[in-house]
Amino acid sequence: MSRYFKLVNFELNRFIKIYLVLAGVIILSQIAGVILQANSYLRMASEIINVEMLSRSEFINQYGTMSFYQITQSIWFDGPIALSIVSLLIYVFFIWYRDWLGKNTFVYRLLMLPTARINIYLSKATVIFLMVLGLIALQLVLLPIEINLLKWMVPLDFRTDMSIYEILMTNYMTILIPLTITEFIINYGTGLMVVFIVFTAILFERSYRWKGILFGLIYGAFAVVLFFMPMILQSTILYEFFYPLELLALHFVTGLIVMGLSVWVGNFLLNKKIRI
Amino acid sequence: MIEVKELTKKFGSKTVLNGISFTADKGQITCLIGINGVGKTTILNAIMALTPINSGEILIDGEKIHKESYEKITFIPDATIMLPQMRISEAMQFMADFYDCWNQKRADEILQFFRLKENDRISELSKGNTAKVNLLLGLAMDVDYLLMDEPFSGIDIFSREQIANVFSSHLVEDRGVIITTHEINDIEHLIDKVVLLDNGVVTKEFNTEEIRENEGKSVVDVMREVYQG
Repeated sequence: MSRYFKLVNFELNRFIKIYLVLAGVIILSQIAGVILQANSYLRMASEIINVEMLSRSEFINQYGTMSFYQITQSIWFDGPIALSIVSLLIYVFFIWYRDWLGKNTFVYRLLMLPTARINIYLSKATVIFLMVLGLIALQLVLLPIEINLLKWMVPLDFRTDMSIYEILMTNYMTILIPLTITEFIINYGTGLMVVFIVFTAILFERSYRWKGILFGLIYGAFAVVLFFMPMILQSTILYEFFYPLELLALHFVTGLIVMGLSVWVGNFLLNKKIRI
Repeated sequence: MIEVKELTKKFGSKTVLNGISFTADKGQITCLIGINGVGKTTILNAIMALTPINSGEILIDGEKIHKESYEKITFIPDATIMLPQMRISEAMQFMADFYDCWNQKRADEILQFFRLKENDRISELSKGNTAKVNLLLGLAMDVDYLLMDEPFSGIDIFSREQIANVFSSHLVEDRGVIITTHEINDIEHLIDKVVLLDNGVVTKEFNTEEIRENEGKSVVDVMREVYQG
């Protein structure tokens, strides 16, 4: 167990520089976004009020107030989130392939560690999961700061305040930061399951190379079908048979089966089939 | 004792190892000799469970390899297997973190012996020094068995001499060593046993001392007989 934690720590340290850069980009871009957008709104308000000789209330009636919703719709806010998602998606692959790439085949060392090989798999999955949660936590810390920055920059009359709850209700934010624990488990449990499926598919490729790509794709398709089996049954032979809550519970069960299967197959491949 | 029994390994339709059997004892240096592509590295990989085998069995002290086995057998490949951005000190710390059998005192001794600087980054080392770091990381483990893949390959004569000296030192004494090499001249006098490989089979397995005493032949003489005769 201690070697598992050591591996987690080791894998975290290997990505920490890029990760801190990502966090820095999120902080800088979103703060800059708030400042730039608030300034641009205030400049527009000032120009229009002066040129068209409008009163504050007339301007607000015609052009509306500024709210955090506009911030969340800008590239300054969405961009770094999208960048982080893409980076972490790439890293799901790179976290394995980096050990085989180039002249320095670190995978030799990893596979010769005096610990169960599945710990390598689990530690890599843990690191991906921790990094996702870390960025979500960062976003949660940043939101109140950004809200207050907007309040500080834009006078009360010109803005409509939104609570964090209201912000999180807007479109994609509810997926990233769910409002209930059930949604959190569904979203992030599904995410973790997908990471396990991809990891096992990667190990198929690393074990059988070209043929392994096919095996990996077949495994991925099988796992996805298995996970969605309750829904497939519901919409085909068992038409509207399950209550929504039953369907959810069944997905929870199939999700756990897929995760367990992926780890089991991954363990088998690491112990019996892997090639350096 | 390391026992390799009827080891068969195929890459696609090509049979690289076709029923290889040999043993390597503790306290002896066993040398695997064969031309490039004969499967010497594959045998070492198979012993360490780094590549799947098609049939046969490999036992280390009577047991199949398992996670604890890596505390008593280690492999020194001919490429760097530590992260290149690591300093030598960080590589040693990694080994100390993960292996109970890591012996820092011995590591410091080898560091001095090879005149390596612990603050040097692995990626910035010459080929000779990289090979020495590989040896350092393997030899500083208190393991019973050491597997070495071409430790002399592509490095300068002085580094070769230094590495050859290791084989006659207490760093290797009492351990079981399996080594693959082309540079047989460097260590011929140190080898206890030779396993000659050709076309995926063991063509001859002999004790160097016995063949020297009984037939008056050197390892190279026997190699000539087998490969050219």
